Amino acid sequence: MNDPTLWLIFVLLGLATTLPRASFIVLGNRFSLPPTLQRALRYAPAAALAAIVVPDVLTVGGHIAPLNPKLAAAGAAILVAARWRNPWLPFIAGMSVLLGLKALLPG
Amino acid sequence: MQSSDFERRGFAAGVREGFVAFLPVSVGLIPWALVVGMAMTSAGFTPLEAMGMNIIVFAGTAQLGTLPLIADHAPLWLILATGLALNLRFLIFSAGIAPGFRGIGTGWRWLCGHLLTDGSFAVCYDKLMQVDDPRWRLGFYLVTGVWSWLLWQSFALAGIFAAGVIPKSWSLEFMATIALIVLLVPMAKSRPMLVAALVGGGSAVLLRGMPLRLGVVTAICLGIAAGFAAEHWQEKKNA
Repeated sequence: MNDPTLWLIFVLLGLATTLPRASFIVLGNRFSLPPTLQRALRYAPAAALAAIVVPDVLTVGGHIAPLNPKLAAAGAAILVAARWRNPWLPFIAGMSVLLGLKALLPG
Repeated sequence: MQSSDFERRGFAAGVREGFVAFLPVSVGLIPWALVVGMAMTSAGFTPLEAMGMNIIVFAGTAQLGTLPLIADHAPLWLILATGLALNLRFLIFSAGIAPGFRGIGTGWRWLCGHLLTDGSFAVCYDKLMQVDDPRWRLGFYLVTGVWSWLLWQSFALAGIFAAGVIPKSWSLEFMATIALIVLLVPMAKSRPMLVAALVGGGSAVLLRGMPLRLGVVTAICLGIAAGFAAEHWQEKKNA
Protein backbone atom coordinates (compact mmCIF):
# COMPACT_ATOMS: atom_id res chain seq x y z
CA MET A 1 0.00 0.00 0.00
CA ASN A 2 1.33 3.43 -1.01
CA ASP A 3 2.08 5.22 2.28
CA PRO A 4 1.63 8.96 1.47
CA THR A 5 -1.65 8.22 -0.36
CA LEU A 6 -2.96 6.41 2.71
CA TRP A 7 -2.26 9.39 4.99
CA LEU A 8 -3.86 11.74 2.43
CA ILE A 9 -6.98 9.54 2.53
CA PHE A 10 -7.02 9.74 6.35
CA VAL A 11 -6.77 13.56 6.34
CA LEU A 12 -9.50 14.00 3.70
CA LEU A 13 -11.68 11.42 5.43
CA GLY A 14 -11.11 13.30 8.68
CA LEU A 15 -12.42 16.48 7.02
CA ALA A 16 -15.40 14.58 5.58
CA THR A 17 -16.34 13.34 9.05
CA THR A 18 -15.51 16.46 11.10
CA LEU A 19 -17.12 19.12 8.87
CA PRO A 20 -20.68 17.72 9.16
CA ARG A 21 -20.23 17.41 12.94
CA ALA A 22 -18.79 20.89 13.44
CA SER A 23 -20.98 22.64 10.82
CA PHE A 24 -23.88 24.08 12.78
CA ILE A 25 -22.13 24.00 16.15
CA VAL A 26 -19.46 26.38 14.76
CA LEU A 27 -21.83 28.51 12.66
CA GLY A 28 -24.30 28.74 15.55
CA ASN A 29 -23.51 32.36 16.48
CA ARG A 30 -24.25 33.76 13.03
CA PHE A 31 -26.73 31.27 11.70
CA SER A 32 -29.73 29.65 13.31
CA LEU A 33 -32.31 27.24 12.01
CA PRO A 34 -36.00 28.17 11.72
CA PRO A 35 -37.94 27.16 14.88
CA THR A 36 -40.10 24.67 12.93
CA LEU A 37 -37.01 22.84 11.70
CA GLN A 38 -35.59 22.86 15.23
CA ARG A 39 -38.78 21.26 16.55
CA ALA A 40 -38.63 18.65 13.80
CA LEU A 41 -34.97 17.91 14.58
CA ARG A 42 -35.90 16.85 18.12
CA TYR A 43 -36.93 13.60 16.47
CA ALA A 44 -33.50 13.10 14.86
CA PRO A 45 -31.86 11.11 17.66
CA ALA A 46 -34.72 8.62 18.06
CA ALA A 47 -35.05 8.19 14.27
CA ALA A 48 -31.28 7.82 13.80
CA LEU A 49 -30.72 5.38 16.66
CA ALA A 50 -33.60 3.23 15.40
CA ALA A 51 -32.30 3.46 11.82
CA ILE A 52 -28.98 2.00 13.01
CA VAL A 53 -30.31 -0.56 15.52
CA VAL A 54 -33.36 -2.03 13.73
CA PRO A 55 -31.62 -3.22 10.52
CA ASP A 56 -28.83 -4.62 12.68
CA VAL A 57 -31.13 -6.82 14.79
CA LEU A 58 -33.80 -7.60 12.15
CA THR A 59 -31.53 -8.78 9.34
CA VAL A 60 -28.95 -11.55 9.03
CA GLY A 61 -26.57 -11.28 6.08
CA GLY A 62 -28.77 -8.60 4.46
CA HIS A 63 -31.98 -10.64 4.65
CA ILE A 64 -34.90 -10.05 7.02
CA ALA A 65 -34.88 -12.75 9.72
CA PRO A 66 -37.75 -12.36 12.23
CA LEU A 67 -36.41 -15.20 14.37
CA ASN A 68 -32.77 -14.68 15.20
CA PRO A 69 -30.77 -14.54 18.45
CA LYS A 70 -29.88 -10.83 17.97
CA LEU A 71 -33.59 -9.88 17.83
CA ALA A 72 -34.39 -11.88 20.98
CA ALA A 73 -31.40 -10.31 22.74
CA ALA A 74 -32.50 -6.82 21.65
CA GLY A 75 -36.02 -7.58 22.95
CA ALA A 76 -34.58 -8.60 26.33
CA ALA A 77 -32.44 -5.44 26.47
CA ILE A 78 -35.47 -3.25 25.62
CA LEU A 79 -37.69 -4.88 28.28
CA VAL A 80 -35.02 -4.53 30.96
CA ALA A 81 -34.17 -0.93 29.97
CA ALA A 82 -37.87 0.05 30.02
CA ARG A 83 -38.49 -1.60 33.41
CA TRP A 84 -35.40 -0.90 35.52
CA ARG A 85 -33.21 2.17 35.76
CA ASN A 86 -29.97 0.27 36.44
CA PRO A 87 -27.81 1.12 33.40
CA TRP A 88 -25.81 -2.14 33.39
CA LEU A 89 -28.73 -4.61 33.46
CA PRO A 90 -29.62 -4.28 29.73
CA PHE A 91 -26.05 -5.29 28.81
CA ILE A 92 -26.18 -8.33 31.11
CA ALA A 93 -29.65 -9.38 29.89
CA GLY A 94 -28.94 -8.78 26.19
CA MET A 95 -25.56 -10.53 26.11
CA SER A 96 -26.87 -13.49 28.19
CA VAL A 97 -29.79 -14.04 25.81
CA LEU A 98 -27.56 -13.66 22.74
CA LEU A 99 -24.81 -16.02 23.92
CA GLY A 100 -27.34 -18.43 25.48
CA LEU A 101 -29.35 -18.75 22.27
CA LYS A 102 -26.20 -19.05 20.15
CA ALA A 103 -25.01 -21.89 22.40
CA LEU A 104 -28.42 -23.64 22.24
CA LEU A 105 -28.98 -23.20 18.50
CA PRO A 106 -26.06 -24.66 16.57
CA GLY A 107 -25.14 -23.07 13.25
CA MET B 1 -37.66 20.63 33.15
CA GLN B 2 -37.07 21.44 36.82
CA SER B 3 -36.40 24.92 38.19
CA SER B 4 -33.11 23.68 39.70
CA ASP B 5 -31.80 23.20 36.15
CA PHE B 6 -31.54 26.96 35.78
CA GLU B 7 -29.47 27.41 38.93
CA ARG B 8 -26.64 25.06 37.99
CA ARG B 9 -23.25 26.78 38.06
CA GLY B 10 -19.71 26.31 36.87
CA PHE B 11 -17.50 24.24 34.58
CA ALA B 12 -16.46 21.74 37.28
CA ALA B 13 -20.07 21.01 38.28
CA GLY B 14 -20.89 20.44 34.60
CA VAL B 15 -17.96 18.05 34.23
CA ARG B 16 -19.04 16.05 37.30
CA GLU B 17 -22.66 15.73 36.25
CA GLY B 18 -21.78 15.02 32.62
CA PHE B 19 -19.41 12.24 33.60
CA VAL B 20 -21.99 10.54 35.85
CA ALA B 21 -24.67 10.75 33.14
CA PHE B 22 -22.34 9.55 30.36
CA LEU B 23 -20.37 6.75 32.09
CA PRO B 24 -22.93 3.95 31.56
CA VAL B 25 -23.55 4.97 27.94
CA SER B 26 -19.81 5.09 27.23
CA VAL B 27 -19.46 1.37 28.02
CA GLY B 28 -20.89 0.71 24.56
CA LEU B 29 -17.85 2.38 22.97
CA ILE B 30 -15.45 -0.25 24.31
CA PRO B 31 -16.43 -3.25 22.15
CA TRP B 32 -17.02 -0.92 19.19
CA ALA B 33 -13.48 0.52 19.49
CA LEU B 34 -12.03 -2.99 19.92
CA VAL B 35 -13.85 -4.14 16.77
CA VAL B 36 -12.67 -1.15 14.72
CA GLY B 37 -9.08 -1.62 15.96
CA MET B 38 -9.14 -5.27 14.96
CA ALA B 39 -10.70 -4.46 11.58
CA MET B 40 -7.97 -1.91 10.75
CA THR B 41 -5.30 -4.51 11.52
CA SER B 42 -7.10 -7.09 9.39
CA ALA B 43 -7.22 -4.55 6.53
CA GLY B 44 -3.40 -4.61 6.51
CA PHE B 45 -2.61 -1.36 8.36
CA THR B 46 0.49 -1.15 10.55
CA PRO B 47 -0.26 -0.14 14.18
CA LEU B 48 0.98 3.40 13.36
CA GLU B 49 -1.31 3.70 10.32
CA ALA B 50 -4.25 2.26 12.26
CA MET B 51 -3.81 4.70 15.16
CA GLY B 52 -3.26 7.52 12.63
CA MET B 53 -6.62 6.76 11.04
CA ASN B 54 -8.26 6.38 14.44
CA ILE B 55 -7.04 9.79 15.65
CA ILE B 56 -7.49 11.74 12.40
CA VAL B 57 -10.86 10.31 11.35
CA PHE B 58 -12.38 9.59 14.83
CA ALA B 59 -15.63 8.16 13.43
CA GLY B 60 -16.26 4.45 13.93
CA THR B 61 -18.97 3.93 11.33
CA ALA B 62 -17.06 5.86 8.67
CA GLN B 63 -13.83 4.01 9.51
CA LEU B 64 -15.44 0.57 9.32
CA GLY B 65 -17.41 1.47 6.19
CA THR B 66 -14.42 2.80 4.21
CA LEU B 67 -11.90 0.10 5.26
CA PRO B 68 -12.88 -2.39 2.56
CA LEU B 69 -12.73 0.40 -0.08
CA ILE B 70 -9.28 1.54 1.06
CA ALA B 71 -8.00 -2.05 1.11
CA ASP B 72 -9.37 -2.57 -2.44
CA HIS B 73 -7.63 0.63 -3.70
CA ALA B 74 -11.01 2.15 -4.61
CA PRO B 75 -10.96 5.66 -6.16
CA LEU B 76 -10.49 8.50 -3.65
CA TRP B 77 -13.84 10.13 -4.46
CA LEU B 78 -15.72 6.91 -3.64
CA ILE B 79 -13.91 6.55 -0.30
CA LEU B 80 -14.70 10.17 0.60
CA ALA B 81 -18.32 10.00 -0.59
CA THR B 82 -18.85 6.86 1.49
CA GLY B 83 -17.27 8.43 4.59
CA LEU B 84 -19.38 11.55 4.11
CA ALA B 85 -22.63 9.59 3.66
CA LEU B 86 -21.92 7.49 6.75
CA ASN B 87 -21.45 10.64 8.85
CA LEU B 88 -24.20 12.74 7.28
CA ARG B 89 -26.45 12.06 10.26
CA PHE B 90 -24.10 14.35 12.22
CA LEU B 91 -25.18 17.29 10.07
CA ILE B 92 -28.65 16.75 11.56
CA PHE B 93 -27.26 16.21 15.09
CA SER B 94 -25.04 19.31 14.76
CA ALA B 95 -27.98 21.48 13.71
CA GLY B 96 -30.12 20.05 16.51
CA ILE B 97 -27.60 20.57 19.31
CA ALA B 98 -26.16 23.90 18.03
CA PRO B 99 -28.44 26.13 20.18
CA GLY B 100 -26.90 24.40 23.22
CA PHE B 101 -23.57 26.16 22.49
CA ARG B 102 -24.97 29.68 22.83
CA GLY B 103 -22.45 31.92 24.59
CA ILE B 104 -19.50 29.58 23.93
CA GLY B 105 -16.47 30.74 21.84
CA THR B 106 -15.65 29.60 18.30
CA GLY B 107 -12.46 27.70 19.26
CA TRP B 108 -14.37 25.61 21.80
CA ARG B 109 -17.10 25.05 19.22
CA TRP B 110 -14.62 23.53 16.74
CA LEU B 111 -13.35 21.18 19.46
CA CYS B 112 -16.92 20.31 20.52
CA GLY B 113 -17.89 19.73 16.89
CA HIS B 114 -14.97 17.37 16.30
CA LEU B 115 -15.87 15.43 19.47
CA LEU B 116 -19.58 15.06 18.59
CA THR B 117 -20.74 11.42 18.76
CA ASP B 118 -24.11 9.65 18.86
CA GLY B 119 -23.70 9.07 22.61
CA SER B 120 -22.73 12.67 23.47
CA PHE B 121 -25.62 13.98 21.41
CA ALA B 122 -28.17 11.71 23.09
CA VAL B 123 -26.92 12.36 26.63
CA CYS B 124 -26.33 16.13 26.29
CA TYR B 125 -29.17 17.36 24.09
CA ASP B 126 -31.85 18.06 26.75
CA LYS B 127 -29.38 19.45 29.33
CA LEU B 128 -27.78 21.87 26.85
CA MET B 129 -31.20 23.25 25.95
CA GLN B 130 -32.38 23.62 29.58
CA VAL B 131 -29.36 24.97 31.50
CA ASP B 132 -28.40 28.65 31.22
CA ASP B 133 -24.80 28.75 32.47
CA PRO B 134 -22.51 28.38 29.39
CA ARG B 135 -19.56 27.13 31.51
CA TRP B 136 -21.71 24.37 33.00
CA ARG B 137 -22.89 23.39 29.52
CA LEU B 138 -19.34 23.37 28.13
CA GLY B 139 -18.16 21.20 31.04
CA PHE B 140 -21.08 18.79 30.75
CA TYR B 141 -20.62 18.36 26.98
CA LEU B 142 -16.82 18.37 26.90
CA VAL B 143 -16.39 15.60 29.49
CA THR B 144 -18.58 13.29 27.38
CA GLY B 145 -16.51 14.11 24.27
CA VAL B 146 -13.08 13.84 25.91
CA TRP B 147 -14.02 10.63 27.75
CA SER B 148 -15.31 9.12 24.46
CA TRP B 149 -12.06 10.14 22.75
CA LEU B 150 -9.89 8.54 25.45
CA LEU B 151 -11.93 5.31 25.50
CA TRP B 152 -11.98 5.23 21.70
CA GLN B 153 -8.19 5.62 21.31
CA SER B 154 -7.22 3.24 24.16
CA PHE B 155 -9.54 0.42 23.20
CA ALA B 156 -8.83 0.75 19.47
CA LEU B 157 -5.14 0.39 20.39
CA ALA B 158 -6.04 -2.68 22.47
CA GLY B 159 -8.03 -4.02 19.48
CA ILE B 160 -5.11 -3.44 17.09
CA PHE B 161 -2.88 -5.63 19.24
CA ALA B 162 -5.60 -8.08 20.27
CA ALA B 163 -6.68 -8.76 16.66
CA GLY B 164 -7.14 -12.49 16.40
CA VAL B 165 -6.89 -13.13 20.17
CA ILE B 166 -10.53 -12.47 21.24
CA PRO B 167 -12.75 -15.23 19.82
CA LYS B 168 -15.37 -13.97 17.35
CA SER B 169 -17.95 -16.23 19.04
CA TRP B 170 -18.11 -13.81 22.00
CA SER B 171 -20.08 -11.41 19.74
CA LEU B 172 -18.65 -8.43 21.66
CA GLU B 173 -19.74 -6.06 18.87
CA PHE B 174 -23.36 -6.60 19.97
CA MET B 175 -22.67 -4.53 23.10
CA ALA B 176 -22.54 -1.49 20.80
CA THR B 177 -26.10 -2.30 19.66
CA ILE B 178 -27.27 -2.71 23.27
CA ALA B 179 -25.73 0.69 24.10
CA LEU B 180 -27.81 2.31 21.34
CA ILE B 181 -30.93 0.53 22.67
CA VAL B 182 -30.22 1.89 26.17
CA LEU B 183 -30.21 5.39 24.65
CA LEU B 184 -33.31 4.79 22.55
CA VAL B 185 -35.73 3.28 25.10
CA PRO B 186 -36.24 6.34 27.36
CA MET B 187 -36.64 8.55 24.26
CA ALA B 188 -39.47 6.47 22.84
CA LYS B 189 -41.77 7.14 25.85
CA SER B 190 -43.75 9.89 24.09
CA ARG B 191 -46.05 8.80 21.28
CA PRO B 192 -44.49 11.01 18.49
CA MET B 193 -40.96 9.88 19.47
CA LEU B 194 -42.08 6.25 19.25
CA VAL B 195 -43.52 6.94 15.78
CA ALA B 196 -40.24 8.57 14.71
CA ALA B 197 -38.29 5.54 15.95
CA LEU B 198 -40.61 2.98 14.35
CA VAL B 199 -40.67 4.75 10.97
CA GLY B 200 -36.91 5.44 11.08
CA GLY B 201 -36.11 1.84 11.99
CA GLY B 202 -38.65 0.30 9.61
CA SER B 203 -37.57 2.35 6.60
CA ALA B 204 -33.90 1.66 7.32
CA VAL B 205 -34.69 -2.05 6.98
CA LEU B 206 -36.68 -1.54 3.76
CA LEU B 207 -34.09 0.83 2.23
CA ARG B 208 -31.01 -1.18 3.28
CA GLY B 209 -30.26 -1.97 -0.37
CA MET B 210 -29.62 1.67 -1.31
CA PRO B 211 -26.03 2.34 -2.43
CA LEU B 212 -23.43 4.02 -0.17
CA ARG B 213 -25.64 3.38 2.86
CA LEU B 214 -27.80 6.34 1.80
CA GLY B 215 -30.76 4.29 3.08
CA VAL B 216 -29.80 5.21 6.64
CA VAL B 217 -29.87 8.96 5.93
CA THR B 218 -33.18 8.65 4.04
CA ALA B 219 -34.69 6.59 6.88
CA ILE B 220 -33.63 9.22 9.45
CA CYS B 221 -35.35 11.94 7.39
CA LEU B 222 -38.53 9.83 7.08
CA GLY B 223 -38.50 9.12 10.83
CA ILE B 224 -38.15 12.84 11.65
CA ALA B 225 -41.01 13.70 9.27
CA ALA B 226 -43.21 10.98 10.78
CA GLY B 227 -42.51 12.09 14.35
CA PHE B 228 -43.23 15.71 13.46
CA ALA B 229 -46.46 14.74 11.69
CA ALA B 230 -47.51 12.62 14.70
CA GLU B 231 -46.88 15.60 17.00
CA HIS B 232 -49.14 17.83 14.89
CA TRP B 233 -51.82 15.15 14.71
CA GLN B 234 -51.70 14.68 18.48
CA GLU B 235 -52.01 18.44 19.08
CA LYS B 236 -55.01 18.63 16.75
CA LYS B 237 -56.69 15.74 18.54
CA ASN B 238 -56.10 17.33 21.95
CA ALA B 239 -57.21 20.80 20.86
